[in-house]
Amino acid sequence: MRPLDPRLLRRAQSARRYVLLTAGLGGLTAAVVVAQAVLLARALSPVVLRTADWPDVAPTVGWLAVVVVARAALVLAQERFAHRSATRAVAELREQVVAHAVALGPRWLAANPGVTTLATRGLDALEPYFVRYLPQLLLAVTVTPATLAVVLTQDLIAAVTIAVTLPLIPVFMVLIGRMTQGYADARLTAMTRLGHQVLDLLAGLPTLRALGRERGPERRVAELGDAHRKATMGTLRVAFLSGMTLELLTTLSVALVAVGVGFRLVFGDLDLVTGLTVLVLAPEVYLPLRQVGAHFHASADGVAAAERAFEVLEAAAPERGNVPAPDLTGTTVRLRGVTVAAPDRAHLAPADLDLDLAPGEVVALAGPNGAGKSTAVAVLLGLLSPDRGEVTLQGDGSARASVPVSEVDPSGWWSQISWVPQRPVIEPGTVRDAVGRGAAVDDAQLTQAAALTGLDAVVAALPDGWRTRVGQGGVGLSLGQRQRLALTRALLEPAPLVVLDEPTAHLDADGEQVVLDTVARLRDEGRTVLLVAHRASLLRLADRTVVVHSAPVEVR
Amino acid sequence: MRTDPLWRAVRLLDVDPKRVLGAVLAGAGGLGSAIALAAISAWLIARAAQMPPVPALSIAAVAVRLFGISRGVLRYVERLVSHDVALRGMANLRVRLYERLASGSPAGMLALRRGDLLARVGADVDAVGDVVVRGLLPMAVAGVVGLGSAIAMGVFLPTAGVALAACLLLAGVVAPWWAYRTARATERESAAARSDLAATTQTLLDGAGELTVAGRVAPALDELRAADARLARAVDRGAGPAAVAAALGPLATGIAMLAALVLGIPAVTAGGLDPVELAVVVLTPLAVFEATSVLPGAAVSLLRSREAARRVVDLLDSSVQAPAATPAAPASGDATADVPAGVAVLRAEDLACGWPDGPVLVRGLDLELVPGRSTAIVGPSGLGKTTLLLTLAGLLEARAGHVLVDGRPVHVLDRAAAASRVALTTEDAHVFDTTVLENLRVARGDVTPDEATAVLRAVGLDGWLDGLPDGLDTVLGSDAARVSGGERRRLLVARTLLAAAPVLLLDEPTEHVDAGGRALLAGLLDGTLAPGRAVVVVTHRLGGLDAADEVILLDATGTVRARGHHHALLHGEHAEPAYAAAWRAEQQAEQTEGE
Repeated sequence: MRPLDPRLLRRAQSARRYVLLTAGLGGLTAAVVVAQAVLLARALSPVVLRTADWPDVAPTVGWLAVVVVARAALVLAQERFAHRSATRAVAELREQVVAHAVALGPRWLAANPGVTTLATRGLDALEPYFVRYLPQLLLAVTVTPATLAVVLTQDLIAAVTIAVTLPLIPVFMVLIGRMTQGYADARLTAMTRLGHQVLDLLAGLPTLRALGRERGPERRVAELGDAHRKATMGTLRVAFLSGMTLELLTTLSVALVAVGVGFRLVFGDLDLVTGLTVLVLAPEVYLPLRQVGAHFHASADGVAAAERAFEVLEAAAPERGNVPAPDLTGTTVRLRGVTVAAPDRAHLAPADLDLDLAPGEVVALAGPNGAGKSTAVAVLLGLLSPDRGEVTLQGDGSARASVPVSEVDPSGWWSQISWVPQRPVIEPGTVRDAVGRGAAVDDAQLTQAAALTGLDAVVAALPDGWRTRVGQGGVGLSLGQRQRLALTRALLEPAPLVVLDEPTAHLDADGEQVVLDTVARLRDEGRTVLLVAHRASLLRLADRTVVVHSAPVEVR
Repeated sequence: MRTDPLWRAVRLLDVDPKRVLGAVLAGAGGLGSAIALAAISAWLIARAAQMPPVPALSIAAVAVRLFGISRGVLRYVERLVSHDVALRGMANLRVRLYERLASGSPAGMLALRRGDLLARVGADVDAVGDVVVRGLLPMAVAGVVGLGSAIAMGVFLPTAGVALAACLLLAGVVAPWWAYRTARATERESAAARSDLAATTQTLLDGAGELTVAGRVAPALDELRAADARLARAVDRGAGPAAVAAALGPLATGIAMLAALVLGIPAVTAGGLDPVELAVVVLTPLAVFEATSVLPGAAVSLLRSREAARRVVDLLDSSVQAPAATPAAPASGDATADVPAGVAVLRAEDLACGWPDGPVLVRGLDLELVPGRSTAIVGPSGLGKTTLLLTLAGLLEARAGHVLVDGRPVHVLDRAAAASRVALTTEDAHVFDTTVLENLRVARGDVTPDEATAVLRAVGLDGWLDGLPDGLDTVLGSDAARVSGGERRRLLVARTLLAAAPVLLLDEPTEHVDAGGRALLAGLLDGTLAPGRAVVVVTHRLGGLDAADEVILLDATGTVRARGHHHALLHGEHAEPAYAAAWRAEQQAEQTEGE
């Protein structure tokens, strides 16, 4: 990617401010660097020529001390704000990535499992980019031209020497980079593979021991380690060439400037103040470029992470509708020919599913594993658009037309649904918070619902009862316990439509009875229930059972 | 220092001192060239200003160019040698880890499998190796170069040498130490915020659908923002001190230069220092501090590596040496043939098992494993059935009672000897990143391609095998990415069947095996797949168990609730109601799925 991606500045406000601040500090640094060179030359030159003594140059040395302190202060300020800005910029990006990934929906998340790592550890790698690489990049566009301009005013020949060698640095870096890339890539593949095989042996050690075959592979570990080292060194020999070229170019240029200045001094073409100024400034011209080169690799991970973050952010999120959602107590949810291609693209799951969910009905979805029952639920909820077919909301009475779910305002639609997925999420907080999810809960109703779902027994075993903290930083709940909690929530929420996805999957025989009782209660309350179920006991409870089928993708 | 995990881990790298010395010399030579370049340039220009005859400058002019070249070349050599040292060290450490884990107590190693320690060990070993390149070598180089420069300056003007040494200590010792301290404090303070951040992110992304429908995305994002703000505050508190550490370097450089001026100018007046040498004494320090500039970063990298080193050392420590094993006669080629039918190979008496530091999970079990007979152990999940198998295989020591193989306690047997009699395949057994055939040869080194094909066919993988691009030579990829859950189980069953041992222990062999799982289980139990061997299968599904000679039902406390043939447990005089209930529930579920 480009050294400074405009998208980074667009997406992260902190990065924008930081770049401005760093550029400003870079300008000041340039001024201080020049001042230090000039003052140093003026303090040194008359003493070397024996035309002045300590009292004459003492004020100049005093000013030099001020400059030294100023230079240190600039570094202090830069570092002070670099870490802060890096953390904030990473936080801004992280929030956007997470929010957008959530909006992209569960199906997209399942297909892009790396996004969790990206949002946590991945983006943290941007810190070296912000703290080390970016400031040097900005110094390269402030200090380098400023110092070069000063050298130009002092000594044309030295300035030309520098101006000629300076562009060679990026040119050579790019050339060598191009030359070595193909070679490095090929080696890298071999290297990764060898490294992986060693880990594979370590990871498989319990298996080898269980079969009594653990002796012998240690030789293989040693061989692989040796091969890995040889492959890596092969890559490094070439990769470090670019570093060497950079060093050679810069040090040789400085040496050439020094020798040139020296000979012109001998012939009296130049005075010592100018000579010393140029000598001190010459390495400073190259320094930021060398630093950019040195920090380039350390920042590469962060840059790659940012690149992936932009890919996530640029993925188009499904559009949400804005038609006000109809009241579900008088609306039939209708699926017609709903078909979704499975992630492997070889199956349609579900294939041509028709389903009517009338108010107050209890309908079961059945079918073998992988038939697409949970996918059908996701389509019904509007979390996933089907590849074929549609979901419509059909109002009671002929006057009201049907509305496709995709055009309905989702918040109004979802607020009327209570969904218990297979693995319910527990947000960190107390058990009571988790049941209420931000809404106030009536004590009497809570006691009643918890008794029905068996959550009361779970809570009784917790150290602080309803006030026990669960989730991150609290007590862990098993899947069965989480299901009981989610069922309790479904009972308490006044949603007209309740969707239960395999509610008995992680429960034993007692648990099954809980689900049966819960569904019976929901039915008595006149709620519409959609059940994804396996067990016959649950299916018997439903008014109707709709079987979901999968089908192979037809060959065209 | 001896007990510091980083130091111990670095010692385990077993680096070659000669190579390290080479790297340090090359590094010091490279940096020394840069300093010499600065010193000679300063001398050249100051001397030139006195307008001497040109030949007086020619040696200096050549030396400047020479050092200009040697700096780049020596730096290149240093980087190559130091990386070579680190890579050799990392290879040594990996071999050591492997050897220690392969010979240590099995329980310790199995405990590691439960965590992600083994998964992380690759990165951890790399981090320890990194210490050499990023931490220790730059420190050694800076020490050599700093000392050399201070002495050289001291030759011109002793007080300037002392001042330079003091400034180098400020930039090369105080600043890195301060940076290290600050980074450690920040890391500690931000750890909680970071883990909250990770957990909230995980909750949001895992439960994206549910939270969206429940309208809980906005509050969760608020929580994410709050965790990020806490992290920002922690980092912010550390940023001030960290910036001080960073600013100490340039400050020390400046002070060294000022000190040289303040001490040098009066010395010139007093005649103690040649004016040309003054330029050298003042300008050289500007180049010397390049050596110390990387040290604060190096110190922080030590902090990061120390965590990795601690994990590596823990891994080694946890795998304490196994008690001396009794060498047993190695098994001959076909061990099954040695055992007369009807004689028990493995006998467990009043056995209790559990992890060394955990509760007793299974107790009071008597078991006699006779070649040609099969046993199925069933019970609620999470009960400790896997632990039982590990104990039977001699990988865990019995908490009470005995496990005898051929009449001798199994855990005192040499591992190879025990494995030649009892082969175990756990649920999480590893599929190696190699060919199908080599994966099968893990059980027995001399498996022929024909044998492999036959056994794969027997476990129902013939269709899968036919679909593989290179047949038996197809590489399965990182932990069997090319294999589905059901295929993986069948492959593991095939591997166990190829083991030469007369006793086969299988943990949930048909989990995730959809259609045909029942037939596979029946084949294992009725002797068609493993004729003449004692087969023990742990499972939580009851379908197919009528093929077992004996079914052992464990209850939630780990005691035997009932044992006998499937039909006896279902309909016999002593029928077990819990077994019958579980059986009916499973039958119903299967009917539904079949509809």
